Amino acid sequence: MDIYAYKCRKCGHVNYPYRLVCKKCRGNEHEEFDPVPLPKKGRLLTFTRLHTLPADFLVATLSLGIVELENGVRITGQLNIPEPAIGMKVKGEVEPVRTDEFRKHYGMVFSAEEGPAGSLRRSRPVGKRSRRPPH
Amino acid sequence: MRNVYVAGLGLTAFSRLEFPLVELAGYPAMQAMKDAGVDRVDHLYVANMGGSRLNRQTGLASAVVDSLSLTPAGAESIENGPASGASALKQGYMAVASGLHDVVMVVGAERMREVNNLEATDFVATLTHPLAEYIYGVTLPSLAGMFTRLYMEKYGVTSRHLAMVAVKNHDNALLNPFAHIHQKITLEGILDSPEAMTNNPYVAEPLRFFDCCPVSDGGACLILVSEEEAKKLKKPLVRLAGVGQATDTHTVQERRDPTDLLAVRAAAAQAFAMAKVKPSDVGVAELHDAFTILEIVESEEVGFFKKGEGHRALERGETRLDGRIPINTSGGLKGKGHPVGATGVGQAHEIVTQLRGEAKKRQVKNARVGFTCNFGGFGNNVVCLVFVREG
Repeated sequence: MDIYAYKCRKCGHVNYPYRLVCKKCRGNEHEEFDPVPLPKKGRLLTFTRLHTLPADFLVATLSLGIVELENGVRITGQLNIPEPAIGMKVKGEVEPVRTDEFRKHYGMVFSAEEGPAGSLRRSRPVGKRSRRPPH
Repeated sequence: MRNVYVAGLGLTAFSRLEFPLVELAGYPAMQAMKDAGVDRVDHLYVANMGGSRLNRQTGLASAVVDSLSLTPAGAESIENGPASGASALKQGYMAVASGLHDVVMVVGAERMREVNNLEATDFVATLTHPLAEYIYGVTLPSLAGMFTRLYMEKYGVTSRHLAMVAVKNHDNALLNPFAHIHQKITLEGILDSPEAMTNNPYVAEPLRFFDCCPVSDGGACLILVSEEEAKKLKKPLVRLAGVGQATDTHTVQERRDPTDLLAVRAAAAQAFAMAKVKPSDVGVAELHDAFTILEIVESEEVGFFKKGEGHRALERGETRLDGRIPINTSGGLKGKGHPVGATGVGQAHEIVTQLRGEAKKRQVKNARVGFTCNFGGFGNNVVCLVFVREG
């Protein structure tokens, strides 16, 4: 699976996330973008471990980071890295990142390119909480 | 364009308040009308971000204008995320400056504590990009955490600097009877002692509990009038002299240098240019310290200090109540509280109170120019205002 960015047919700028008008040349004719899959490898620009989570996340902590991919596009994603460090090489996979009452949402999950992948992205579950029944 | 003056002020305590949203907007409005000595207004702007989602109240302005028996005055609700308050003031400014109206009421109100913390966090997180940020679990604290880590790496800001902002703003809030948090904190208690990790746990590393503002309910009101109306008043004249607004990319990841807050820089520059004053003329400022790091960064971006020097000025005590440029004398969002839609109006309330010389124990000396920065999203929509005391 891939995450897509949108390459402007006029100037070649890769827009991510999707926008209606190209950020660089403001080309705004219809269908002016070609979807291109984002590369999976990059370097970690910054990160955080979040301890207060929104309602859909039944975990104690969640690691998030911004990654600069090989083509220079930056993407926010979840991290599956026990000890992240700024500048480290990472590799992404597209996996479910959030499950709400309607569906699973897919997004990029990064692990360290070298060394064993940790399992701290989703730490231990915090007990069993009752969830709303699926629709 | 005509000059615009602040005629009346009203404020509720920022706290957990068990009143309906309409009343949170209405009480400060009644106070402001009494303060200004007016019994009618031409138009009403109500700033609110979450009424429809948190309180199941849409069309807030229509409800407020009738509750105050001000019909048939015009009324509009303004939603611009956490910058709603200053945005509404900007609308009020334009209405008076253009000559369309003579007396305009600007109210900000928010009731966030009606829902639990999970829902409140999720509600604020809907400000982020739905596909590129929100689905990953990104919240405003997590964006601030990632931003802080970069800032620490690049400019040498430490957790101690962040804690110093919290201590200063808590101290200021202790002097403000309307502030949400009345709690004396020390660097030892939140940083150095063995219990610090319990007292001050991580929220979004490296940000901790005392780096984040509380979730508050509250309301604030300003009445803006034309010069003609202002001359009838007995209060010291404070002019809303400069208004600036700028935007930046929706996602934080797309900013060329993610440690720059270009929208803050641009909005502040516009406001100063319009008011024909310099950052060095400012005698008191309210900056949007939803996270302690933001007070440091905004103090640089608006031009009080050089980029990367904000934390040094903080160390020297320049931003304290008795310093060269007192910042967040009300306690800021950190101490006074952050009812999102009301915050911008609340900041302006503090600045006008200071410029009038009515701030009692936390009064700064000789301030003639005041500044507010109201920061929406994570810096993607920023409104800055400059107030000047006349006479």
